[in-house]
Amino acid sequence: MEANPTPADTFQRFHVLHRMLHVVIIFNFTLLAITGFALHFSEFGWVQVLVSVMGGAAAAGWLHRFCAVFLYMGVLVHLLWLFYYKFVLKQTWSGPDSMLPGKKDIKDLYQNLRYAFNKDTPPLFDRYSYLQKYDYWAELLGMQSMGITGLILWYPDFFAGILPGYFINIAGYLHFYEAVLAVMYIGVVHMADTHLVPDIFPMEKSIFTGNIEKKRFMEDHPEEWKRKQMTNSETA
Amino acid sequence: MKLQTGTKRKKNKVLTGWIYAFLTAGYIFLAPVLLPCTLAASPAPDATWFVDMNQYSSAAHGSLGCEDCHGAMIESGPGREKPHPDPDGEDFLKYQTKRRFDYQSCRKCHKTAYSRFSEGAHAAAADEEKKTGSVSRTGHAPVCGDCHSAHYSKSHLSRVQTGRIMTETCGTCHPDQKTSYLSNYHGKAAVNLGHEKSAFCTDCHGAHTTMSLKDKEAALNACLRCHANAPPEFANIIIHDTPKTRDMKNDEKQAGLKWVYAARAVILFFVVLVLAFFYSHTGVLMLRKLHEKLRRHK
Repeated sequence: MEANPTPADTFQRFHVLHRMLHVVIIFNFTLLAITGFALHFSEFGWVQVLVSVMGGAAAAGWLHRFCAVFLYMGVLVHLLWLFYYKFVLKQTWSGPDSMLPGKKDIKDLYQNLRYAFNKDTPPLFDRYSYLQKYDYWAELLGMQSMGITGLILWYPDFFAGILPGYFINIAGYLHFYEAVLAVMYIGVVHMADTHLVPDIFPMEKSIFTGNIEKKRFMEDHPEEWKRKQMTNSETA
Repeated sequence: MKLQTGTKRKKNKVLTGWIYAFLTAGYIFLAPVLLPCTLAASPAPDATWFVDMNQYSSAAHGSLGCEDCHGAMIESGPGREKPHPDPDGEDFLKYQTKRRFDYQSCRKCHKTAYSRFSEGAHAAAADEEKKTGSVSRTGHAPVCGDCHSAHYSKSHLSRVQTGRIMTETCGTCHPDQKTSYLSNYHGKAAVNLGHEKSAFCTDCHGAHTTMSLKDKEAALNACLRCHANAPPEFANIIIHDTPKTRDMKNDEKQAGLKWVYAARAVILFFVVLVLAFFYSHTGVLMLRKLHEKLRRHK
């Protein structure tokens, strides 16, 4: 084990707001998955016990909706922050620091797959790797879709007034399959890529502490590190 | 014969002790398996000719005497209204009781249920069966006794208890509807999770009228019982969502069901595609990184 790095060796990677939003997502995502799948797989005895512990089907349903609203409030806060970032802090939404996908991401994906088969060196990522960008967009767009289908299932009598009746059935299937996708993606791909990779195992702490060590910064985000050194030398 | 020596007797005692310990442990371990078996082995009430009086007396009709429903039981003879069947007769104890019993006697106490039944789909099917003599694909058109056990039905059951039994009862003849109901939110919440506010079979189809709800207006009326603000289109939401019963639905629902399955196929394809790509992507990269890590440690 290395000694605790001195403050000079760590850099802030995530603002406190984003760390909090990440915790909000973890909390609500987990509860939403549990309460949602508890209804879908309710034929199993242990699921029925779990639901009765939560206070019955009505309480589990309430918890599911509560968490959905809580989670979506997180989305709104994030969108508000995006406007604050652009119009108050006068920063840009595009560029190497942003989550917007670019040509480099496709190149990185190709290079990473070549690297997996030992035909290339690992790609040099900027502030966000293409996988982190995919995580972000999958989550952000997934929550819109889950929100819409969830609302349709929440207020079927309203939506049957403006949509054909079978859309409520489609919303049910979409909601379920997308939940499966989300849980199987976050539970396996996100966990493996961020926490289980050999250099990071057992856990990537930067999204919780906000800080990243210099060594990891240089290894995982070399392009950002290079830009940082250049701006530092310019200002110096 | 020689008496056993002390050591031998001691050995035997030890052996017996071990056998007892073994059996006890075995029973304890096997109890969860054996107990339900022994319980299941006790005679289950069935529509046989013999009535289990222990169960009968604790059931809903337990306070009634035999003759209240079956009429005066008297020795056979001329001029008798309802002679007891001849024990030496050819079909004695051989015909199906339910197909011969006159369920008019239920009417004496259950007037509303009886009149609703006679207006309903099951009674219409029974009339049809009588006329044509052909049995429908779900079996005989049911009379009272096909759904209700006259001898063993319990009274004072909760709404959920009744509903769970009802799902099994209706499902005997309508298995596809039972399956599709149980994969719908209504069935999952009501039957699996015991949610009282959710709908059981009869909440939509009526207890004794047993309507098919193929008619849109009838379906909407059923929806409106719980979903007070349901617009007409609400009745086009597919509850029994299975291809097996598609031809029983009205045209609008059949068309809707096609779109539902098309959409489901698309989203399923998308999910499988995304997961297949990212699982293999993560898999090969993880192997590469593990390989590099292990090589570095050499």
